[in-house]
Amino acid sequence: MTKRDKIIYWTGFGVIVALLIVAPLVLPPYWSRFVTEILIWGLLAMSSDVLIGYTGMVSFGHSAFFGLGMYGAAAALLMVSPPNLILALAFGLIGAAAVSAFVAYFSTRLRDIYFAITTLIFSQIFYVIIFTWTEVTGGENGLSFRRPAFGIPGIWTTPFTAETLHWFVLALVVGSYLLLRRIMHSPFGMVLQSIRENEPRTRAIGYPVERYKIVAVMLSGLFAGLAGVLYAVQNRFAAPDFVFFLISGEAVIFNVMGGIGTLVGPIVGAATFLLLREGLGRLFGEQFPYLIPLGFIFIAIIIFLPQGLLGFMRRWLNK
Amino acid sequence: MTDDTRDHEGFWHRGKVTRRSVIGYGVSAGALGAAMLVPAPWQAAFGQAKPYKIGSLQPLSGAGAAGGKTALVGLQMAVDRINKAGGINGRPVEIVVADDESKPDVGRRKTEKLLVEDKVDAHVGGFLSNICLACMPVFEENKVVNMISVCLDTTLTTTKCNKYSFRVHDYAPSQAVAFAPELVKMGKKWHIAYADYSWGQSTKDAYADEIKKAGGEIVGTTGIPLGTADMTSFLSKISGNFDGLFGIFFGKDGVTIGNQAFDLGLTKKYKWAGDGAIAESTNLPALGSKIDGFIGINRYIPVLDPPFNTPSHKKFFDDAKARLSKIDSSNPDPDRYVQANYEAMNALKIGMEKSKFRGREDTDKLIGALEGLEMKEGDDFPQGDKTLRKEDHQAFLRQVIAEVRGGKYKVLKVIDKDKTVFPPACKFT
Repeated sequence: MTKRDKIIYWTGFGVIVALLIVAPLVLPPYWSRFVTEILIWGLLAMSSDVLIGYTGMVSFGHSAFFGLGMYGAAAALLMVSPPNLILALAFGLIGAAAVSAFVAYFSTRLRDIYFAITTLIFSQIFYVIIFTWTEVTGGENGLSFRRPAFGIPGIWTTPFTAETLHWFVLALVVGSYLLLRRIMHSPFGMVLQSIRENEPRTRAIGYPVERYKIVAVMLSGLFAGLAGVLYAVQNRFAAPDFVFFLISGEAVIFNVMGGIGTLVGPIVGAATFLLLREGLGRLFGEQFPYLIPLGFIFIAIIIFLPQGLLGFMRRWLNK
Repeated sequence: MTDDTRDHEGFWHRGKVTRRSVIGYGVSAGALGAAMLVPAPWQAAFGQAKPYKIGSLQPLSGAGAAGGKTALVGLQMAVDRINKAGGINGRPVEIVVADDESKPDVGRRKTEKLLVEDKVDAHVGGFLSNICLACMPVFEENKVVNMISVCLDTTLTTTKCNKYSFRVHDYAPSQAVAFAPELVKMGKKWHIAYADYSWGQSTKDAYADEIKKAGGEIVGTTGIPLGTADMTSFLSKISGNFDGLFGIFFGKDGVTIGNQAFDLGLTKKYKWAGDGAIAESTNLPALGSKIDGFIGINRYIPVLDPPFNTPSHKKFFDDAKARLSKIDSSNPDPDRYVQANYEAMNALKIGMEKSKFRGREDTDKLIGALEGLEMKEGDDFPQGDKTLRKEDHQAFLRQVIAEVRGGKYKVLKVIDKDKTVFPPACKFT
């Protein structure tokens, strides 16, 4: 990236973050909450971009990582009174990391459609376990819990307001983006991109491809788990529907819509998809099958913008 | 070439925009627009009175869509009737519908929209239990009364109850209290087959407890995963020395167990009973004669025999059937979803009248009016009398035990609402 590019990039980044910071102060409460939710779904989509866009592996297992992050947080919030935010984050991340390590170990031996199907099957296994193990997971009904306070328990805590929760989510999503961007630009990230471009050649050079893939799946799973924790904290419930593979499908749709291999594109994809769904529902009325026009818009994007909304910036963003 | 084809060609392919076609489509569009702009007849009657906004979250797309659309018919029926009769406290009622897409995250977001943006005065709806549970805290946070109209999960009015939510229909423990003594009269030893997820599991526990209390015995239970298309491997293991098989399923699982239990000879070998949802009127065509002899419990079945031989039920039945035929060409009979939504709205109406409800600022007064509400059988409550218990906001109502034969229901016994009471297990915070 040239110096001029850097200035443009960081100015644009600063402006967008500043707009997101002031969003809860200027938007009506419903839309403010909506933006927070977009950030959470965007984080999930961004985590799957590590695999889809940078490693060339399409995963349908992200619902499991997201869901386990959510249920891990739920376990922590239900076990300890008063609910503890740090413990929720720790439990959620450990849950997602453990599951992603397990899934990665078995699925990275496979490629292409076989990898996608294996991750999908794993997510469905976790879904069935959560759905039927009612005593622990609440089964179909899921788990409800109280929202933890912000701060370090025992030292300083304050209850979340809509604004502080938004800023907390924003800080973690921005932090995750910067960290993932750094990782994707590091030698490790370059190897992942090399695997995407030509896996046999990467192996021939001497890189242990499977090990890199395992780390990529775990990294991706960890951030998907973080999104799950944030969703649990925002909405105070965990449900098996979030472990169902349709959530993984939505993450893939967000990627395709926004532009894979850009990290920020999937967040834009999530925002576009969720805003379109909301807007079409309002335009046509709730009793109209508004998901049908949404499907047509998605198909139009695929046909006319195959690289996604930010696809044209892909090379520039990855300089 | 048929006229139809010519029409299609004219519209899509001919490519000519003639003055006649422009005027034709313009007039049609104008008529449609005018129809949308002309106020409904009741609006003129109410003048400038500010309408009450009643939110309704329903699954209008996704897995629960068919039921959600049916449920909405019941709510619309009640609102039309209320508006025709002069509204509530002289003000008309307007429904604000939200589609939860059968997903809890969407349901939660749409509930927020109803309460925060649309600023509804109260809510009547909720179809899928997991979505009801996910949305319960939102009503509490915004201090808005929530009349649950379909969700069955027991915990809604027990461990997860809150002071803003009311359920105007039954739940599994009260049905178990009503049915267990009759089951024990049919046979002492029972095997329970159930849908293996939260509703099925909690309902199974409720029946197991009540059958034991009534002097019966549970010799075994078989959990079958939800949506299992081939239940043979589970059902073939059900054997031994017992009197009756009790099923807890709904929807297409009800059809599957009904057909496959018959094919395996279980329904001939043992007495065959269960939750009325197995033989819901919408399932009967798919079950055919294989469900003959099944005895189920339900709060509502679409018959005009006693106890449903009242003029108010006939009126409800005819109106619901006419409306349902407009959304479903199979011309179905009304089911308990229509009934529950219709009656939940009417219960809210009575509460609003009693409390002289003006808006959300009177939510506490409305809660006070609804707590302990006695609902009398009539045009508002064609299903029968009901009591909305103060301690947990759970209603207790009449149950009917009916046998299915030849695609029709035969009411065997009517259980009075007082014999369905189950102790409260709710603590409002």
